[in-house]
Amino acid sequence: MTRKNRNIAIIGGGHNSLVSAAYLAKAGFNVELYESRSEVGGMASTKELVDGYKVPGVAHLLHQTDTKIHKSLNLNKHGLAFAASGLKTISINPNGNALIFDDDTVTGDDITMKEQEEYKEFRQTMKKLSGFFKKSYQTAPPRLGSNESKDMTRLMSLGWNLRSMGKDAMRQMLKYIAVNIHDVLNEFIDHEHMKGSIALDALLGNRLGPRTNNSVITFLHQLTGDLNGVQGSYAIPEGGMSSYTQALQKAAESAGVKIHTNSPVKQIDLNEENKITGLILESGEKVNADIVVSGIDPRSTFMCLVGPKNLESHYVHKISNIRMRGNTSKLHLALSGLPKFKGVEQEDLGHRIINAPSMKYLELAHDHTKYGECSDQLPMEIIIPSIHDKTLAPKGHHVLSAVVNNTAYELKDGWDQSNPVVLESCLNQLEEMAPGIKGLIVHAELLSPKDIEEEYGITGGQWHHGELTFDQFLMLRPIPGKAQYNSPIESLYLCGAGSHPGGGLMGLAGRNAANEIISKES
Amino acid sequence: MLRQDHYKTSVYKTPFHERTSELNILNEWSRWKDYTVPTNYFRTDLEYFSVRNTTGVIDYTPMVKQKITGPDAAEFVNRFFTRDMNKIAVGRVGYVVWCDEAGQVIDDGTVFHIRENEYWLLCVERQIDNLENSAIGFDVKIEEITDDIACLGIQGPTSCSILKAIGFEGVEHLKPFDIKHYDFQGHEIIISRTGFSGDLGYEACMANDAALSFWDALFEKGKIYGIQPFGLDALDLVRIEAGLLVPGHDFMVAEDAIRPGSTRSPFELGLSWLVDLSKPVFNGREALIEEKKRGSRYTFVKLNINGNKPAEGAYLYNQSGKKIGNVTSAMFSPSAKANIAYASLHDPWKKGKDKIIAEIYYQKDLEWNKVMEEATIVTKPFFDPERRKVTPAELY
Repeated sequence: MTRKNRNIAIIGGGHNSLVSAAYLAKAGFNVELYESRSEVGGMASTKELVDGYKVPGVAHLLHQTDTKIHKSLNLNKHGLAFAASGLKTISINPNGNALIFDDDTVTGDDITMKEQEEYKEFRQTMKKLSGFFKKSYQTAPPRLGSNESKDMTRLMSLGWNLRSMGKDAMRQMLKYIAVNIHDVLNEFIDHEHMKGSIALDALLGNRLGPRTNNSVITFLHQLTGDLNGVQGSYAIPEGGMSSYTQALQKAAESAGVKIHTNSPVKQIDLNEENKITGLILESGEKVNADIVVSGIDPRSTFMCLVGPKNLESHYVHKISNIRMRGNTSKLHLALSGLPKFKGVEQEDLGHRIINAPSMKYLELAHDHTKYGECSDQLPMEIIIPSIHDKTLAPKGHHVLSAVVNNTAYELKDGWDQSNPVVLESCLNQLEEMAPGIKGLIVHAELLSPKDIEEEYGITGGQWHHGELTFDQFLMLRPIPGKAQYNSPIESLYLCGAGSHPGGGLMGLAGRNAANEIISKES
Repeated sequence: MLRQDHYKTSVYKTPFHERTSELNILNEWSRWKDYTVPTNYFRTDLEYFSVRNTTGVIDYTPMVKQKITGPDAAEFVNRFFTRDMNKIAVGRVGYVVWCDEAGQVIDDGTVFHIRENEYWLLCVERQIDNLENSAIGFDVKIEEITDDIACLGIQGPTSCSILKAIGFEGVEHLKPFDIKHYDFQGHEIIISRTGFSGDLGYEACMANDAALSFWDALFEKGKIYGIQPFGLDALDLVRIEAGLLVPGHDFMVAEDAIRPGSTRSPFELGLSWLVDLSKPVFNGREALIEEKKRGSRYTFVKLNINGNKPAEGAYLYNQSGKKIGNVTSAMFSPSAKANIAYASLHDPWKKGKDKIIAEIYYQKDLEWNKVMEEATIVTKPFFDPERRKVTPAELY
């Protein structure tokens, strides 16, 4: 059978699914993609907040992407352009002394030259270490205990990537990999505000405190991506976050992918022998397919669409034990004017503003998380995308988008009751950072992890489709023994962030999965 | 419900204890899970012969018993066990094994399809945890009923006559592995034509309250049929002749194994007939398919060994003195009149080419002696009387 007459059905239209679809269609398969929402893009999309105001759905910065994928899918040709790139990070604190991070340099908040040097050294060390991850992210992880030459080569290249970093970097890797960002930062840097600001990058989207082990991995992970060749750079696409995924959509469509929106999938259809026959949509329609690729999270894929009865119990057990505790909410504000943040120049408001005044602040917020509570001192990442993109709000008006960490999925009082309380608390905290902002609010909403779960169908509202921790990493992602985008069901593959190398907007899981499928199914 | 008063006593007494302790004139007891049961009552060989020639009764209440009920019970057992459970209709019993994810046998046992949507699993090791873990997504209820149900094995050529004499009408029409529900003095008694002896025999499961009156009826009516109790030592002899394996003896319980390679797959225990790879899914299937492709590491065989010295635990060698396996169970079989054993063979043993030589140690007046005896592989059962299979069962 040639690829031409083999049908692939892809579940979900997030960026990984789109990337996978594009590569598979380019390889000659017949690819059709089914998305439950009215548009593709999943969490990287633009949505209407209230009449006349639009905000990024969940992801609000293009950060951890993969230039190779951009080039090979020709995303520029398909309309990807940046409204702003190389964004600085401005870390505010209650005293109004902001720190300004611009790639490897830092200024502000009475920072000394020595401290600037410390930052540079830390940053360069971490970039180097994340280079190891970056390389290992480019292929499927090896299968341990396999005698196949492909797996041996991958295992060797993993070892070689580590070894070729050089003796010093290898030592640093072994020293830092399993510990926490708190201890590592204390080793490099003295400035409390600076340490808090850096540590936040390890925690955003994750359920960690700075002192939680694993937080070095998450820090290195977010550093792996690049944008136009600049590692760890931030950008806002022209036309909102949707335009990124729309460019992917166009790339996929031009490769021949047929995209069906408003087509939620009810189940993956198996015959009596548990072989794939296609999909059954919520509408009752049966879609025939030889291969099914799921871009939704592994838990939903297997527990909802395949069903535990069709899997061996140890597999069900492992899948149900993937840690997927969402911890991050999105705050969206429609504003009647531009707010003033303490210590931030008005011309800098278009940059990335963060609230992480110290590591202690972050740790205390995490303490609440551990016990199902929500602190009234929350870490945030704030952007005002309407500064760069006038289409998002009426003239003179603005929208604010903030990632609010440490708002646990499992809140003691439940989200129905807590949502207004946490929203009010967030607004009060914003008022502290930007006095007068409350008076500008036209509309406000808080998307809790529970809301994100419902809206985007991700178990636990966990951005990465499974927490990014040492035990759910590389050949252990999503579960040990099944980390090559495959599954116990023949011709059922995973291409989402739940698989190696995980979350962000890289699209690497999608591309690696496509490569695996091409080599296995041709 | 499992008993919760374990802290009051080091072992439990079974509901038959009042009677078994009277008859246990040797006062030899063994611990079996939480219970104590007789090892020998009066003489192992005579107890053995009561099973072979008349009827022997064994208290096997300590056998772990789990009840699976609910609308998905049939689907659940079919996914849990390696064989096709759809073939075990209501009112039937099936011998089963089940595997871990590596396709290694966790335990063996019997499944009683008691009623529509109700199965009982009787086995050696507690499985409540495995069963619960396996129940995700199934509408089933899992309960351990070990302490609620008293069980007797009634084994031997006259066993059917005794049950019939008590008043269990139509018991002779039970085919091997059939179950029948009876009313006994207002209590439900489940009688199945099953057992460990490889002979005609029955097992009776009942509520604890019915235990003593059932025992009394059995021994009263059984007197003229030569009924005798038998203990665990005699049980071990009859089960070896019958060709039945014991976990923890003939194979390592996969979950208890410490050393890699010490566990066995069903194929490596000669139990391929219990594995239905055509089922779309069951626990261990993926690994067992892989084993089929790759080949198994061990071969399980029945041996007939020269001489009359039981080869318990013997090392096995080939003609060039290379170790090729171990004996897992052995005895001199009075019924087969042969020196029999089970053995697990491995490389470099080659089927049909290599000899099998057992290194047997035995004691004479305290002094250990050794013999090297050649063994041949037996494919037929050691002991398989016609009356085991005949329905209606023989009545005397």
